Amino acid sequence: MSFGKSSINKNSSGYFFVMPFVLIFLTFGLWPLINTFRLSFTDTILMSRTFKYVGIKNFFIIFNDPSFLKAFKNTAYIWVLNFIPQIGLALLFSVWFTSKRLKLKGVGMFRTLFYLPNILMPAAIAALFASLFDFYGPANQILVRLGVLPEAMMFFRNSSFTQIMVIYIQWFMWFGQTIIIIMAGMTSISGDFYASAMIDGANSGQMFRKITLPMLRPVMVYTLVTSLVGGMQMFDIPFMLTDGRGAPNGSIMTANVFMYMKYSSSKGHIGLASTVGVIIFVITSVVALGIFKILRDPDEAAAKKKRS
Amino acid sequence: MKKILLSFLIISMTITSVFASGQEEATKDDGKIGGTLKIWSFTNEINTMAIAYQEAHPEVNVEYTMIPMTNGEYQTKIKAAISSRDVPDVMALEAAFVRDYVESDFLLPLDDLLPKAKEIEVYPFVLDVGSFDGTTKAYAYQATPGAVFYRRSLAKKYLGTDDPVKVQEMLKDFDSFKKVAKTLHDKSNGDVFAVCSSGDFTNLFYANRETPWVIDGKLNIDKKVNEMIKIAKEFRDNKWEAQATQWGQGWFAGMNDSLVDAAGNEKQIFCYFLPTWGLPYVLMPNATQKVVDNSTIGETTVGDWACINGPMPYYWGGTWMGVMDDAKNIATAKDFIEFSTLNENTLKNWALGKYTNAYLKNIDPSIGDTQSQGAGDFVCSQKVVREITSEFDNAETSEFLAGQNSYSGFAKAAPAISLKLMQGTDDAIQRSLNDPLNNYVEGKLTFNECIEAFKDQVRTAVPDIIVK
Repeated sequence: MSFGKSSINKNSSGYFFVMPFVLIFLTFGLWPLINTFRLSFTDTILMSRTFKYVGIKNFFIIFNDPSFLKAFKNTAYIWVLNFIPQIGLALLFSVWFTSKRLKLKGVGMFRTLFYLPNILMPAAIAALFASLFDFYGPANQILVRLGVLPEAMMFFRNSSFTQIMVIYIQWFMWFGQTIIIIMAGMTSISGDFYASAMIDGANSGQMFRKITLPMLRPVMVYTLVTSLVGGMQMFDIPFMLTDGRGAPNGSIMTANVFMYMKYSSSKGHIGLASTVGVIIFVITSVVALGIFKILRDPDEAAAKKKRS
Repeated sequence: MKKILLSFLIISMTITSVFASGQEEATKDDGKIGGTLKIWSFTNEINTMAIAYQEAHPEVNVEYTMIPMTNGEYQTKIKAAISSRDVPDVMALEAAFVRDYVESDFLLPLDDLLPKAKEIEVYPFVLDVGSFDGTTKAYAYQATPGAVFYRRSLAKKYLGTDDPVKVQEMLKDFDSFKKVAKTLHDKSNGDVFAVCSSGDFTNLFYANRETPWVIDGKLNIDKKVNEMIKIAKEFRDNKWEAQATQWGQGWFAGMNDSLVDAAGNEKQIFCYFLPTWGLPYVLMPNATQKVVDNSTIGETTVGDWACINGPMPYYWGGTWMGVMDDAKNIATAKDFIEFSTLNENTLKNWALGKYTNAYLKNIDPSIGDTQSQGAGDFVCSQKVVREITSEFDNAETSEFLAGQNSYSGFAKAAPAISLKLMQGTDDAIQRSLNDPLNNYVEGKLTFNECIEAFKDQVRTAVPDIIVK
């Protein structure tokens, strides 16, 4: 370090200003997390005032639960299938919206329209779709009367259909948000790069691959990680769409629905629910770190290594 | 290193502060009635009782809290109250979870009220639900026997009579019920379904099990359950059931003849299985023509219904009340439970609709314009039921049933009910069967796969039960 001792700022008012955040984070962020880890080693249930530490017994119970693997596979499947079209379309629309060549009109309006579903309540959307595709609902009536279906269909008894429905709702609620973030990332790339690329004779495809994508890397990592965290916690749509237990056949039982089932079981198994929470936390952290590692700038990583 | 030490210190301090338990408040029970009485419930029904109680005891200050049960908020709230020890004095408990509490140590024994219960002849099954290990801990003001409500016009057209006695004979067991379902289907060319959803008759079979769901901590599937699964399939395969979802839009549409299949053909439902509360709260409000955006939906079916006991006696729902062990005002809590569940006068007023909005407003002007209790709820006391049955000969409910007195119908059904098999985990186990059952009747699973799927669901939903 090149700083002398005297240059250290002893003014502590900075700490004072960050204090509210630190306190709130410690109480509502860190403490619940630590407590979840602690609870996951106990047999705590809501219908009892005492508990004891049971070691890793809860983890055995959860790993042996017939729905455990299914819940995590469903979560991964639904998240991946909703994220690919989400980021793909968001990139496409962002390129169009920010393109200086196209100079589209009404970009602001489109951006608002795409964002609107995000401010609706997930529970309301789920209830809406549940009644749209009810056996006696409008979807059946339209399809049968148009001759598309020979007779009414029980949509929510079909596992694939129900999964696709959840994927669709997740996509349609979140892609407006992703567009806004990616557009912000794109507009922050200096126009000089494109200008010089154009002088060198690059076409739009080349500019997208060689300038936009690399410069967008930090924004992409951010989008990917926040979407992953959100996806691992997917709950309201699958919970409200059918019976709240992942029907049909547990096809939309996500990790969080599984956790809630432990919590809401007749005696309220807090210990087991916390164990599921810990597993979700560990998986999310590992995958997020993996994303950071894979997507980080190779040059910067090499430079960092040299410095240390 | 310093930072790590500091954060470690903070963390350990937080942990110790949370582990250190708070001071317990001493329970005040000097046997005197007065002070503040805290009541928690999941509807406004018991608030009517609370206001009526204040008429008799103006010295008591009642604090009534209503917490909805839509997505289990109420259950979560009362479970959380157990460990925080910040509990109400009187707690309402619904049939789905009352046994969890009765089987626990969190409710105070209320055996000293039993003589009063004997005196007014409370239905034994109501007391059975509130009792565990020889101690009675919860009482109810209502009893909820189930009945079958059928359409008189359809009975006349396809069965040749709408007389409740004759129709009951035709529906006396499930073999006869199947024959009627077939007749309705064949004669109407499939336009009349016997029932609206396969969820409709599950309660009957659950109520008539011969063995409990859990024996020695192990899951036990009674033969009535197997029978129910097979009958549900038979109804679906033969199109005797309308494939609606219970509490879904199609299910309500059948009540006012607005059920239309996807191709636009009008369909009708012959009967609904509903308990006492189902008549005023579910069937009657939905059996009228609705006006939406200037167009009318359905027909009014008031006066076209009749009520019979049906193929099996059963019960559905009900609200019990208990006192939690950490309650602050035990004497008043007990007195309130006695007043609302074991007092002949209260029960009569309750059932006969004396607690109108105007009556309650007279006691407490701040209650708003909707708080009231209409006539017709079926009460827990056989003595009171005997005395008031004739009062319902000309009530609104009997107008709905073309002059039939539903109260006497319920009175006949009630003695046959037994709730001795009811356990805390029943609701969770029965809900676990819904998805596998629906898959089986749809033909997506074989019978054995359905049972295996059910067992898997129980393993996930009720971790404390051993499933072989």
